[in-house]
Amino acid sequence: MIKKQYSLTVCQGTGCISGGAEDIFSSLEDEIDRLNLGEGIRIKRTGCHGFCQRGPLVVVDPETSSGLFYSKVAPGDVSDIIQSFLPGGKPVERLFYRDPASSKPIPNYHDIPFYRKQERIVLRNCGHIDPEDIDDYLATGGYQALRKALFEMTPEQIIAEVKQSGLRGLGGAGFPAGRKWEATFRAGGNEKYVICNADEGDPGAFQDRSVLEADPHSVLEGMVIAGYAVGARRGFIYVRAEYPLAVKRLRIAITQARDKGFLGRDILGSGFGFDIEIFRGAGAFVCGESTALVLSIEGKRGMPKPLPRPRTAEVGLWGKPTLLNNVKTFANIPLIIVRGSEWFASRGTETSKGTAIFSLTGKVANCGLIEVPMGTRLREIIFDIGGGVPGGKAFKAVQTGGPSGGCIPASLLDMPVDFDSLTAAGSMMGSGGMVVMDEDTCMVDVARYFLDFTQRESCGQCIPCRVGTKQMFSVLDDITTGQGRPEDIDLLLELGESVAGTSLCALGQTAPNPVLTTIRYFRDEYEAHIHEKRCPAGVCQALVSKTPSLSKREGEGDK
Amino acid sequence: MMDKVSFTIDGLEVVVDNGTSVLEAALRNNIYIPHLCYHPDLEARGACRLCIVEIGGGELVTSCRMPVESGMVVKTKSPKIEKIIRPVVELLIADHHASCASCPSSSHCELQKLMAHLRIDRRRVRRLRLPKVKAPLDTTNPCFDYDPNKCVLCGICLQTCESIHRVSALYYVGRGYTTRIAFYGDKSRCESCRECVTRCPVGALISRKT
Repeated sequence: MIKKQYSLTVCQGTGCISGGAEDIFSSLEDEIDRLNLGEGIRIKRTGCHGFCQRGPLVVVDPETSSGLFYSKVAPGDVSDIIQSFLPGGKPVERLFYRDPASSKPIPNYHDIPFYRKQERIVLRNCGHIDPEDIDDYLATGGYQALRKALFEMTPEQIIAEVKQSGLRGLGGAGFPAGRKWEATFRAGGNEKYVICNADEGDPGAFQDRSVLEADPHSVLEGMVIAGYAVGARRGFIYVRAEYPLAVKRLRIAITQARDKGFLGRDILGSGFGFDIEIFRGAGAFVCGESTALVLSIEGKRGMPKPLPRPRTAEVGLWGKPTLLNNVKTFANIPLIIVRGSEWFASRGTETSKGTAIFSLTGKVANCGLIEVPMGTRLREIIFDIGGGVPGGKAFKAVQTGGPSGGCIPASLLDMPVDFDSLTAAGSMMGSGGMVVMDEDTCMVDVARYFLDFTQRESCGQCIPCRVGTKQMFSVLDDITTGQGRPEDIDLLLELGESVAGTSLCALGQTAPNPVLTTIRYFRDEYEAHIHEKRCPAGVCQALVSKTPSLSKREGEGDK
Repeated sequence: MMDKVSFTIDGLEVVVDNGTSVLEAALRNNIYIPHLCYHPDLEARGACRLCIVEIGGGELVTSCRMPVESGMVVKTKSPKIEKIIRPVVELLIADHHASCASCPSSSHCELQKLMAHLRIDRRRVRRLRLPKVKAPLDTTNPCFDYDPNKCVLCGICLQTCESIHRVSALYYVGRGYTTRIAFYGDKSRCESCRECVTRCPVGALISRKT
């Protein structure tokens, strides 16, 4: 028999589930039952650990036991994992993470470079607690911030704390959260709303999804505190319908929070009432824009409202003052309340406090979800945490901020990453997508890909975005198929400036970024395509060989 | 509260009622600012983006939604405006399938007026990629046809239906470049008032002679 108590966590994030993590969980359960080890080995489902590249993941809880980190686990490994806990059992070395450079095994969770260099605040519970069990959240100190807010603080004190923390909205624009809270608090009327924006639509971004799937209560807690601070009694979570697991776990979390009295008419006997509903978005990227999102909840077509207009904090949902923040912004709130604004503001840079969360994807060894203090250098993120570019290939660029962001070249790798530095480089923080590209990536093709996305997702109401992004896409498509014209680079620059300068909302205003930055940093690639009919990276099929071959993009047009 | 405000537009000192938009004030004083989605009977939506002007120290705003403020200095023409607005009009023209000669709206078309005002150079338009396919006409409405190839999606028709005739028989469908106005065929609530046809700034809604 096993003397010691072991706690085994099995990641049940979307990535690991698609790798078969549900089967692994049930096989582990069966094996524990079969050997009658239920007393010694506790097994628990958790949300995403972030290291999706190495999934499915099984971790021996680092807080209570060895912290062994098993990666790429298959059902056939289950018996060996269980045997390792028996007297004389040895850790299953073949499942250890190996350093990509030296191939040296790194058995322990905390020693893996991917985790060691991170600072996990928003992701504090992700991968450690069972997202479907409120007791697990409570055991980590969950809902203590709510208690403190309700019984020890006034709304004014909470808002002051959020303002002093320097927290900026993590949905993309980086607007100071405290100022939004204050504006909603000050707006008149006794009917107000709190909305959590979980309409994460950027290709390659999945941090909002992971937080909702792994730690839904931290978001709920942040929202209730916000409701108390601004004077709202109803909250909505606007979540993509494409995130069924997040919706399921949110539903469970809301029910459990109601049962425990953290949501409802009289929260914890304080007299303050607040409840949260889930609203599933119908799949429009533009509905992530605040005014379009509000219209969408009202049952209307999601089309952003033009400036000048009253702020959502003053005239929002159904014309009432509305506080709208991103998932990660709310998830930060409980910690700011419990640990204080000074603690939070001690991280990050002068103008961007706290941490930044990125979905690290593309040509990088360690794909996954990461959290680092604002101001961390791109090089550390991509090479230390991300493990660099695999296959001995050279790094070429990194695209941040999703389709509205820009491509940053190798020469700027030592740039500290925060809201302002990314904007200065022609890109943006956006929702935190980070796509790494290697020497085999064609930058014109990248620009074409992102413009294809934005031109499809334009709401269609304003001319520059509707027709301009389509035109830019057509020109890029011509260039990548060998039909580029000598004047096309100037044309793209001219159109880019016009679309950015005249579009009604941020979608159109930022849509040219991928084109403008790739021309700025990789103009020679455009020139090779146009003048020499050559794709230096060898990606654009029409320019690689004249022999008929299956194009990489066949069928893409009729999606 | 002041009833009148005075401001300067293109060097001209003008006095207008408080609450007037910069665009309305300009038009009333015979200063043309390019626009397609503005209509005096309707609330300004700021959707076409063409009426951008420069105020004060160079801030660019849509004049249809910007109320005149006392002492405001407005420029309707500047290199900065020219640089970003001209391509938008060129984009529209490249996208506008039609020959003016055979269009019933010719001579009272807002797009023609815009082109003349900006002296659009066809050679610059030819740098753009022209649409390859023509969308079919929507002939489902009993009293007018809708030509999506001429439509500039100003939204005046649906705004008219919604706020003047109060029927809301038509609305946007689709997204991005394929956005259209939908008339809902035989399920339409249209009462054939033709107010939308009257206000169409181009030749996208054409009355059918029955």
